[in-house]
Amino acid sequence: MTASGDKSQPDAVRLLVDLVNDHLDPGYAAAAERRGPDPEQRWYDNVAVIIGCALVGFVLIVAYITTHRGAPEAAKVHDRLVDRVRSAQDTANDLSNRVNELQGRLDRAQAQVLSPTGDLAKSLDLARLQAGLTAVSGPGVVVTLREPSGPSSTPTTGRGGTTGIGSTNILTDRDVRSVVNELWHDGAEAISVNDVRLTPTSAIRFAGEAVLVDFQPITSPYHVAAIGDADLLATNFAQSAVASRYQTLTGVEGIGFSFADESNLSLPASQQVRVRYATVPTQRKQGHR
Amino acid sequence: MIAALALAAGIVLGLILRPTVPTWLEPYLPIAVVAALDAVFGGLRARLDGIFDAKVFVVSFISNVTVAALIVFLGDKLGVGSQLSTAVVVVLGIRIFGNAAAIRRHLFRA
Repeated sequence: MTASGDKSQPDAVRLLVDLVNDHLDPGYAAAAERRGPDPEQRWYDNVAVIIGCALVGFVLIVAYITTHRGAPEAAKVHDRLVDRVRSAQDTANDLSNRVNELQGRLDRAQAQVLSPTGDLAKSLDLARLQAGLTAVSGPGVVVTLREPSGPSSTPTTGRGGTTGIGSTNILTDRDVRSVVNELWHDGAEAISVNDVRLTPTSAIRFAGEAVLVDFQPITSPYHVAAIGDADLLATNFAQSAVASRYQTLTGVEGIGFSFADESNLSLPASQQVRVRYATVPTQRKQGHR
Repeated sequence: MIAALALAAGIVLGLILRPTVPTWLEPYLPIAVVAALDAVFGGLRARLDGIFDAKVFVVSFISNVTVAALIVFLGDKLGVGSQLSTAVVVVLGIRIFGNAAAIRRHLFRA
């Protein structure tokens, strides 16, 4: 011991003083003392140094490799998943563009075949309008639902995938659905949610932390745009139980809820209406009856 | 000189072999690292002090790693493994910094 030779200190205090002052392993001093001021070279000195240093280097590099082996792997997996999601989104966009293009060609072909003033063309137009297959514009109301900002809407920390459905979102598919249903009930003729046009077969569902409208994910704020008699819609909606419920929730949970009538709304066309089970009875069947 | 070459050789060996550390050994890796650094700085300081001893260097390194791992292993079994591993890191860390300061004083006289 070099620095703390003071024997008057208690053992515990000396231990701490040694810890802070006496950094060098006492073995070195002891060995130097034992071997005298001018020690001769022993045969294993170099071997020991080589082994020791190689061991130290080995331990350090193994620790480095082990630490860095896991991290890039996780990042790589994440990047690969992101790439796959992006390419899937691109494919979906391409396909929907193609659908729109083909739909346009189909429309033109139909217009050529059907006389524009005929009864068939008129009933077809009406049916397409009601089915949400054409873009429409007109007066109406816009209802906006917004998740509360602040800590309650941030996801809880934890392993991915362990957050329960609805535990981070106050607004779910049910809320969007009830607003949409109320607007239909109030006399809306066409409705879109965040620029996704609703059709008679549209489904508003909830998956993970996103609301799905016709399987297209949308996030807060939810803009529900409805075309109809603007005054009537606004009055009916203002008096509805749905509106008063969300007015109350605005105060309690801090969600954003507002609605306003607009003189000119334009809603996009729905991308598809696919009827899987219902079929029109064929002429021949009717004739047999 | 020999020491630096041997250190490089150890690093190259590790890079070539790329050994997979078994899971049960992984908790002891940080302790081995701190003990290795302690041995390096201690040896360097002893060399500068003129009292370097190869036997002490190797034996103190190996015994430090072993004892530290043993303490942490015992702590793991008794439920205080992470605390004891912190204690080992703190004690060896203080030594590393103290030795680094001594080396600095030797080299720069400051």
